[in-house]
Amino acid sequence: MGFFEQALLAAVVIGALSGLVGALVVLRRRTFFAQALTHATFPGAVGAAVLGLSIPLGAAVASVAIVGIMALIGRVGRQGSQVASGIVLTAGFALGVLVQALNPTLPVQVDSFLVGSILTVTNGDVLLAAGVLVVAVSVVVFLGKEILFSTFDVDGFRAAGYREWPIELLSLALITATVVTAMPAVGAILAIALIAAPAAAARLLASRATQIVVAAPLIGSASGVIGVLLSRALDVPAGPAIALTAATFFLLALGMRRFGASRIRLRA
Amino acid sequence: MDLLGFLFDGFSLPFMARAAAVLAALSLVAGVVGVLVNLRGLEFISDGLTHAVFPGIAVGFVWGGREGLFLGAMVAALVAAAALTLIARSAVPTDAAIAVVFTAMFSIGIIVVSRETNYAGQLQQLLFGRLLTISPAEVVQTIVICGVALLAVTLTAKEQVFRAFDNTGFDAAGYRPLLLDLLLNGAIALVVVTASSAVGTLLVLGLLIVPGAVARLVTQRLWLLFPVAAVFSGVAAWLGLAFGFAASVDLGIDLPSGATVVLTLVSGYFVALLARLAVDRVRAGRPRSEVAS
Amino acid sequence: MSSNPSPVRPADGPALELSAASFSYGREPVLDGVTFALQPGEAVAVIGPNGSGKSTLLKGVLGLIPRVGGTARVLGEATAPAGAVGYVPQTEGLDPQFPVTLEQVVMMGRYRALGWLRLPSRIDREAVERALDAVGMTHRAKSRFGELSGGQQKRGLMARAVVSGPRLLLLDEPFNGLDQENRDALIGSLERLKGRGVAVLVSTHDLELARAVCEKVLLLSGTQVAFGPRNEVLTLDNVQRTFRDVGVEMDEHTVVIPGHEGH
Repeated sequence: MGFFEQALLAAVVIGALSGLVGALVVLRRRTFFAQALTHATFPGAVGAAVLGLSIPLGAAVASVAIVGIMALIGRVGRQGSQVASGIVLTAGFALGVLVQALNPTLPVQVDSFLVGSILTVTNGDVLLAAGVLVVAVSVVVFLGKEILFSTFDVDGFRAAGYREWPIELLSLALITATVVTAMPAVGAILAIALIAAPAAAARLLASRATQIVVAAPLIGSASGVIGVLLSRALDVPAGPAIALTAATFFLLALGMRRFGASRIRLRA
Repeated sequence: MDLLGFLFDGFSLPFMARAAAVLAALSLVAGVVGVLVNLRGLEFISDGLTHAVFPGIAVGFVWGGREGLFLGAMVAALVAAAALTLIARSAVPTDAAIAVVFTAMFSIGIIVVSRETNYAGQLQQLLFGRLLTISPAEVVQTIVICGVALLAVTLTAKEQVFRAFDNTGFDAAGYRPLLLDLLLNGAIALVVVTASSAVGTLLVLGLLIVPGAVARLVTQRLWLLFPVAAVFSGVAAWLGLAFGFAASVDLGIDLPSGATVVLTLVSGYFVALLARLAVDRVRAGRPRSEVAS
Repeated sequence: MSSNPSPVRPADGPALELSAASFSYGREPVLDGVTFALQPGEAVAVIGPNGSGKSTLLKGVLGLIPRVGGTARVLGEATAPAGAVGYVPQTEGLDPQFPVTLEQVVMMGRYRALGWLRLPSRIDREAVERALDAVGMTHRAKSRFGELSGGQQKRGLMARAVVSGPRLLLLDEPFNGLDQENRDALIGSLERLKGRGVAVLVSTHDLELARAVCEKVLLLSGTQVAFGPRNEVLTLDNVQRTFRDVGVEMDEHTVVIPGHEGH
């Protein structure tokens, strides 16, 4: 398959995954956490590139360390989760910059890690994303109602006898995996657009969680594909093109909601 | 190299002195503004502002070179601050909306820069800063802008704190929160612009949020937070700069100055964090040991 | 800047006057048909089950929620002058870790009257001392606000509400979760304030407390059920209509249960 077709395939798969897990992020209000993750995995990726290991692996290892550090910071009474996310985001990023600068002859152009380079994604990247997508879909299908319950009303969830931590852990793991696999497409800085925008758009348009969970991946894939096509047509980098397409979907949804609501009587 | 040498040697060089002046001004403002960022929980919005300012910086840079950068960035920054303030207070709240807006703006910035021939190199510079190649004119600009931001914040400090503590009570007292938010977000935006040329767009957040977080770990007394943050920020920046210089001169390693400063700040944070955990544990343990003895 | 309210003459109009007022968060009004007047030195209890609109009424009077129908006049004006209305909100939503002392919180009540650029002076500090004394919290002035118990925080917020000498005081469920000592302290403070001519509007779902402080009662249940002197309004019938689905204890001998006559 030609590299352009490969890029389109990657756009579909990564877009769908980002949209689906993005729904989780948006509904559970973990956007800043996801944002911190995208930036803080940067040193892991750079480190992996320096050591000649696979970049997703480095990013994944960094993610685990980051989540641990955030948990630690969050425990101290006077620091909240916002502080934790912020510290980790900036520290991780600075570390990545440092390591990168110390190794000017990196085999992989690390700037592309920041803004993405979907046209050079490998088979491995696409397969990894597809694998994570399958897992994500399974989780949503089999555990969807528990996740919904705990997201909506964590106290009621615990009162009903469930334990919160498995759900939290699972969603953290999914978010992390998604962030790691989305990077080749849109890069660390823009990944949050593909994760948050399709889901946020879906949320504006749909009133039920099941609808959101179906609409978000569709919008995500569409953003990916249209972004790649636009990037070729207008000769701009693909990462930003995808991010802007996703943002446009969001703005469209916003507009539809504002103008549509005044005419549609929402049925209970 | 002895300790005094480490701390002071490099600064006799003009470019180091300029870097130090810029960092001093930035530390002071970022420290003070950063305390409010912490008290209000504006870490996410600040991150958004650092991204949203980028297209202004990019456009300014592309059209005006180094000099144009400042003006373009300022305009974009204030527009972005106003837009984010309005969005954050609108009926479509959610972090997601804010994230989408600022990433979109960042993308625009990247596209603007991508049209230039030396895409990768210029992007590098914009994103990571060029602390050691700041011109005298930029030093003056930085100090003036920092002064304005500092003034805006200190004149409204008591109201900002009131709003941070109890925004319902604040509303009930008849204040208009919008004005105050615009002022604070505007001040943050100004700090972001000036700090961007020093440490780069992506590392500005460190200057904004670390000192405030450290101050919270150190003291519970409200009005002490501000000087503690400013002093910590200044000292850490100084150490970071000195360290980078020493590494370059003595070890021949070229460390990017922006990243070094931020990492020094963060190291200071973790020292404070562990110290706070230790102190709390000792305090919590004392009653038990008194009972036992 | 005076910290005592100027003596209020009976010739002054009502501190608060609403007529067919309705309030709404969005499209549908959540509270409507409110008509009553509150005189200086008087206390009115706003009583109703959860969700009946008690908080809405208070916030509507403050202008925090839009009034979509009817009229409302606060201290004779469409919107009250700054510092003339004190508000004691429910304490939920305040960060217990926030680095402020009780004293500093009470001082916040002086800010509006102080203005934007000025710093608190000796006069303000004295006013804060008096307010803390009035609620009996002087001994904890330097404690961090978050370290105080719920009842103590409530008294602190009360001090904040009165430190600028307001003529109208609004309290939102002030007795929730308070132990006896704190309840008595609060009741004492309210009596003193009434004696000075301050008008008090207090929301509660506790009938016993309403009896202790308030001459008149306003019953709400999404709309106004009744308003008037306490003994006239608190009839079995009215209470049943207000608390439709909730059992409530009217006095030692009478408990109202949905669908039953009281026995």
